[in-house]
Amino acid sequence: MIELKNLDKYIESRFQRVFILKGIDLTIKEGEFITLMGPSGAGKSTLMNILGLLDEDYDGEYFFGDRNIKKMKERERAALHKSEFGYIFQAYHLIDELTVYENIETPLLYRNVSSNERKSIIANLLDRFNMVAKKDLFPAQLSGGQQQLVGIARAVAGKPRVLLADEPTGNLHSGQAKEIMEVFQELHREGTTIVQATHARENADYGTRLIDMLDGKIEKDEAIVHV
Amino acid sequence: MWKNYLKISFRNLQKRKLYTGINLIGLTVAIVSFLAICLYIQHEWSYDKMYSGYERIYKFNQEFVSEGESQLVSSTPSSLIPTLIDEIPDVETGTLLFDLSIFSSVLIDAGEGNQEEESFAYADENFFKVFDFDLLSGNPSQVLSEPNLLVLTRSTADRYFGDAGSAVGKVLKVEGMDFTVSGVMEDFPSNSHMVFDFLASFKSHRHGKNPEWSPSNYYTYVKLKSGTNVVDFQDKVEKIKEKYLGKELAQYGYRTFFHLQPVSDIHLGDQSLGSIKPGTDIRYLYIFGIVALLLIAIGIINYVNLATAEATERNKEVGLRKAMGAGRGQLFGQFVSESTLLTFAASVLSVLLLYLILPKFSAISGVSLSADSLINLGGLGFIIGLILIVGLLAGMYPALILSGMEPIKALANKTKMGGGAWVRKSLVVFQFFVSIGLLIATFIVKNQLDHMQNVSLGYDREQVITLPYHYSMRNAVETMKAEMLKSGAASSIALAGDIPVHIKAGYRIFPGGDNQREFMITGYSTDEDIVKTLNLTILAGTDLNDNDFSREEANDKEDLVPIILNESAIREMGWNAEEAIGKTVNFGHSDARIKAVVGDFYFNSLHENIGPLGIFKDQGNANVLLVKIPPGNPAATLATLEEVWKKLVPERPFNYKFIDQEYAQLYRSEERVGVIFTLFSGIAVLIACMGLFGLVSYVALRRTREISIRKVHGATQKDVISVLASDFFKLLLVASVLAIGFGLWFSDTWLQSFANRVSFSPWPYILSILPVLLLAGLTIGYRSWKVFRLNPAKTLKTD
Repeated sequence: MIELKNLDKYIESRFQRVFILKGIDLTIKEGEFITLMGPSGAGKSTLMNILGLLDEDYDGEYFFGDRNIKKMKERERAALHKSEFGYIFQAYHLIDELTVYENIETPLLYRNVSSNERKSIIANLLDRFNMVAKKDLFPAQLSGGQQQLVGIARAVAGKPRVLLADEPTGNLHSGQAKEIMEVFQELHREGTTIVQATHARENADYGTRLIDMLDGKIEKDEAIVHV
Repeated sequence: MWKNYLKISFRNLQKRKLYTGINLIGLTVAIVSFLAICLYIQHEWSYDKMYSGYERIYKFNQEFVSEGESQLVSSTPSSLIPTLIDEIPDVETGTLLFDLSIFSSVLIDAGEGNQEEESFAYADENFFKVFDFDLLSGNPSQVLSEPNLLVLTRSTADRYFGDAGSAVGKVLKVEGMDFTVSGVMEDFPSNSHMVFDFLASFKSHRHGKNPEWSPSNYYTYVKLKSGTNVVDFQDKVEKIKEKYLGKELAQYGYRTFFHLQPVSDIHLGDQSLGSIKPGTDIRYLYIFGIVALLLIAIGIINYVNLATAEATERNKEVGLRKAMGAGRGQLFGQFVSESTLLTFAASVLSVLLLYLILPKFSAISGVSLSADSLINLGGLGFIIGLILIVGLLAGMYPALILSGMEPIKALANKTKMGGGAWVRKSLVVFQFFVSIGLLIATFIVKNQLDHMQNVSLGYDREQVITLPYHYSMRNAVETMKAEMLKSGAASSIALAGDIPVHIKAGYRIFPGGDNQREFMITGYSTDEDIVKTLNLTILAGTDLNDNDFSREEANDKEDLVPIILNESAIREMGWNAEEAIGKTVNFGHSDARIKAVVGDFYFNSLHENIGPLGIFKDQGNANVLLVKIPPGNPAATLATLEEVWKKLVPERPFNYKFIDQEYAQLYRSEERVGVIFTLFSGIAVLIACMGLFGLVSYVALRRTREISIRKVHGATQKDVISVLASDFFKLLLVASVLAIGFGLWFSDTWLQSFANRVSFSPWPYILSILPVLLLAGLTIGYRSWKVFRLNPAKTLKTD
């Protein structure tokens, strides 16, 4: 589904290039649940941003299916971005001025989903994440775990094939984290491809593949065996 | 999607109350001013467009050319229009008006004693064919068709008969003659160049019975058939003129032309032409239009500055939305809808406010304006257009900046302060350049106006009153003068053709002898007491006295008229004061002897230089009585004068005016411009300072952490203020320098139109820049002080 070939990302500083990613080769198959691990600065977030088409400033090749991202037109890339990807952030990043309902609705608006369809999608999501009673609250009125659930609901509202989660449990305590990971697992079972970056080894156990990163390179790439 | 945009916009506006407030007030004030000015301009522009086929209606102006000098007057002979109607088939119809009020007032009696009326005209029977004003009663083709018929306006009819409906058929005495009211018309609309209370049939006037080619005292209007070529028509008029006036013109050696002026051009046309109602200089309309746009621009700039400054705070939102698939266009739409929503709110407020302030503004501008003309399809369309344009202009740049941010950087809050700092700086400079520039212009205008009110005119205009003189008083006037002087209520009294504020009669003069050059001179018909009454300075020769002939008597006796010339006149002839005395000149086709020379005084607008003037006795042409009253209690003095007046001429109204007030009237349009300038430059400064307040607040907030760190390390309040203030003061200084440049240019250009202008003064510049700097300083100081007072422990912890 996704194939990165010899991908470099660097910053030109005054005297030398500082590589953030170097020589990344990575193939992601549809339906995988990949966990990226590694210390801060290893390049996990940068890699996630590139995967999610938020960052286009890199060398190397990126194929989505059989389409070369670099050769796509801006408009096509934007369309691909909209239709295939959902994002979850460590800091939840909900829009403070919008209610739970409206936050979930936002990506649907950008996808020109009709009003009736929006209503039914959001109703389903609220139901699924047990947030029906909270739909008119603002983010500031929710706990961190609840906010992240809204973040997930928002990310999956547009029915993306790939879900990218950058430290989704980083700000949560372990109970809430577990809950989030179970949601991920369920989404994975339904066929969503998931890539998450995390510091917590136990989160990797929910996935199917673990990639260790260090200094912009892939150190280790192994399948998780569930017993 | 739009619903969502509006919802978010609304919440965003609600959340940032300070900025929203500043923007809302700024835009509201700007839009109110803009709308008020637009209404004013629209009103001025709509003049004389209410007659059907107004594009085919023209007024004639007459030009006299003699010896290379030309004079354009707005009136024509009474024969012109009947001849044109008879001889040129292009003419659909035409009419003439004789405005009596420029010569004298009229006494009207409805059986309850004389009332003095100032707005009386004769019109011929075609008047309502050319100007299809609505008649409440009466047949438009008949109301002026016979002698001694009178049409009243509705309010005049109400005034005389209490009820406009019952006026027709009643009889009014006009200067002792019976006139029958034949019709009542609606009051003249405020956007018509004519305004009268009475229209009498021209056939009642002696010239109405026998039209003549001289004098040129009549306003002539012609309505051409559709499809007439105006140039061809003008040629035909030229031929008519040759046919009837050719011989006479050749004999006297001057030429004359009849020029067509579209009726809708009269109000904004050449202001030097006399007209029924004072017109408006079209340049002032342009200036007001520009001021209106500048005010809106200042309001928009506030929005742009605040929105781009706070862009950093919205980085996260923008980044998120992009990550969720928002296109640039969609984000742009969201931010523009925010500014449009605000503009919409401001516009609604503005229209409400407009209703409150319009009566006030009407008083200032001297034009009765109504906001009702906004409440129709065109008006609403205009306002909606305004909202969209202002909303787009205000939102566009911030929207471009915000929607252009890269999502990762935006999410990581890595973008620098809003980007485009130099744009914001230039906009602040522009705002203050405009505000200070307007202030400077205001002060320059005010300086010149003050100067005109205080300048020495060369005669005494204080303590001089004018009373209307009518030739029917000629037998009583000598007794009246004597009694008034005796009563002590007057120290000197003179009869004169005009008040000295504006003397109009034109004559030709040539010195004779080897100096044959003829030139135009203004003539002042007076009696022997004028020099004393106005306290003119005699440079040489002796004053007129009882024994001197008047011009009329001299003509009869074929003797020389004694005449007083002013300095400009003898300078024109190349003489000095001493050698001019006793010389003979040809003055208006009769010989005159120079008896005295007086110092120059202003007998016209200060826009013009003092021209040559000749003063001679001619009581027959007197229209006013100039009375110099002693200082002291004017009320008692006037009462005494009135007593004498009532005793001698009880039928004439005692209607006094102070000459200095009449003088002030001359500059009413400038005065008005001054007031409007003051108003709008004040508003501009206000809006700009509010914007500055917002911007400074924002910067202070952003730099809270920096200031706290400085404070912890020992910075005093002064240090902190100077940190914050220096950036802004640099901008204000740049703006001030630009504004000074503008002021110099403006004073040069505007003052050009005054022959007597105020000398350069640094005060307008100082008085404009200093308060603005002070206000800006206060703003900056206040915000810095508030930040400085914060406890560093708190501000640093939360960061």
